[in-house]
Amino acid sequence: MTEAKAALRGPRRHSPLARSNRRFGALIAAPAVLLVLGLIAWPAVQTLVYSLQDSTFVRQGSWNGFENFIKLFSSEKFMNSLGLTAVYAVGFLVLSTALGLAFALLLNQEFRGRWLARGLLIVPWAFPWVMVGIIWKWFVDGDVGVLRAIVVDWGFAPEFVAPLSTKNGAVAIAIIAAAWRQSSLAALLFLAGLQTMPREIHEASLVDGASTWQRFTHMTVPWLRPVIGVVIILNTISGFMQFDVIWALTQGGPGNATTVLSIYLYQQLFVDTNLGLASATSVVLGVLALGLGFIFVKLMYRDKGISEGVQ
Amino acid sequence: MRRSRLQSTIIYVSFALFLIWILFPLYFTVLSSFMTPSEIGSRPFHWWPENPTLINYIAIFTGNSTPFGEGVSQGIVSSTDAVERILPAMGRSLIVGALVALINVVIGGLAGYAFSRFPFRGASLAYFLLIASRVVPGLAIVLPFFIVFRQVGLLNTMTGLTIAYVAFTLPISVWVLKTYFDTVPIEIEEAATIDGASRLRTLAVIVAPLAKPGLIAAGLLAFLEAWSEFFFALVLTDSLTAPPVVAGLQSLQQFSWTTLAAATVVTVIPPVIIAVAFQRYIVSGLAAGSVK
Repeated sequence: MTEAKAALRGPRRHSPLARSNRRFGALIAAPAVLLVLGLIAWPAVQTLVYSLQDSTFVRQGSWNGFENFIKLFSSEKFMNSLGLTAVYAVGFLVLSTALGLAFALLLNQEFRGRWLARGLLIVPWAFPWVMVGIIWKWFVDGDVGVLRAIVVDWGFAPEFVAPLSTKNGAVAIAIIAAAWRQSSLAALLFLAGLQTMPREIHEASLVDGASTWQRFTHMTVPWLRPVIGVVIILNTISGFMQFDVIWALTQGGPGNATTVLSIYLYQQLFVDTNLGLASATSVVLGVLALGLGFIFVKLMYRDKGISEGVQ
Repeated sequence: MRRSRLQSTIIYVSFALFLIWILFPLYFTVLSSFMTPSEIGSRPFHWWPENPTLINYIAIFTGNSTPFGEGVSQGIVSSTDAVERILPAMGRSLIVGALVALINVVIGGLAGYAFSRFPFRGASLAYFLLIASRVVPGLAIVLPFFIVFRQVGLLNTMTGLTIAYVAFTLPISVWVLKTYFDTVPIEIEEAATIDGASRLRTLAVIVAPLAKPGLIAAGLLAFLEAWSEFFFALVLTDSLTAPPVVAGLQSLQQFSWTTLAAATVVTVIPPVIIAVAFQRYIVSGLAAGSVK
């Protein structure tokens, strides 16, 4: 951050050339800045406004304070959905971060076939989220799925209960399927971080006779701290916002077993067509994802200052 | 460094698990796409198609399900225009993705260059706002898009989708490109300026070629995002692009997983090829900002 500030300040502030340069900079940055302000900042503010009104899709309503939020938080369906979203997001965060770190550590070793592993690592990330959901849905399907074949044909169990037909099974598969893609992104970022680690640090520790575990906790983790922070933010946001995978897998079912907030939001929009409640749900989602992401990072950087991590 | 036998074993066992984790779901999908609907449900499971068939791909590329003939009764995509919608949807995905990428490279490139070289009054604030909007989730702001698009008639149009996707990709592009321009030595531009070249000309002729890897990374990331996007396409259009069309096959009364598998394979081939072929650019783009 400090570096960027110094760079933005520049040396000769008051010369005519400096002024003309500033004007040029403002001019060529304007389209991007205005587009993003108009297409993200304005809709975000607008969503906040809708959440405090009783507007409908065709009519601007009047302010009604926090009525939408009160309605939301006293609705059982919303509270269930909120709890489910938390469970889902935590499971997704833990699984995709842990797998990503494990893959990166593995691919940072030298072994035969590493080129293949590194080439394959990016493949799940290249899949559209919704395709990930489709593939996993049929992978675990009770009739045609290969999981059934392994469980039954190979004699692990006499019968196969399709996981998507049970409450916990559906949540678990929704977490695993989404982590299949996200762990790939996490691993790519972790691996990029590991590759910038100076060899000397590694070699010095070997001389000191540090154990593998000590090297991991005392050198690798501290070195990766900024990357871990970014990955945790990305995974947290992605977990709270996950829609595509769950939509393709279960559309929120069975029953409401996988109706996380994003699915609930879609239902409010297109089934109940309740603009106020949908906006309030959007606000809750946005605040949760952003807030939690930053809290995690803050905790990690308690002694280092947050800016270094998210820069 | 020599490894103990135990360490080697751990590494190769992990490698095997890694391969299974990534490849197994893919193998099942590709395998299914070469089977007939009646074979996919057979027990015991067929790990290799008995009579490999292109019937699912033919249905998609010819846009009709008649190649199945009598198979229709066995649960093929039968009614509706579901199959014939796939190829045109992919075409529209391609157009939207290319437009989004182009706009990102041009507008994002200009802004990235400005933030890197020509700090203007309020540049810090503007840059901060751009970066902050990167983490605003699309899900949370879809409503105003829906309402405004409805009023101005942009629902279910490629223009509308392109606008929405530009919003989500621009912050990342500006970030990636500013980071990249920062690594391009400034001396070359100064020499060009002394020679009397205008600033825009210097950018186009001298800086842009030097910043090519950054521009490629930003363009590809934007394209992949647009190609893959599902939620906005679902809310703002009636299955205009490939992801919602393919996902829509699942909700048909009569359809077969084998056809869906083939449609999935066809839809993921472009992004997978791009990602693998340009892995270096893409990873450097993804890592900009998170890895120093």
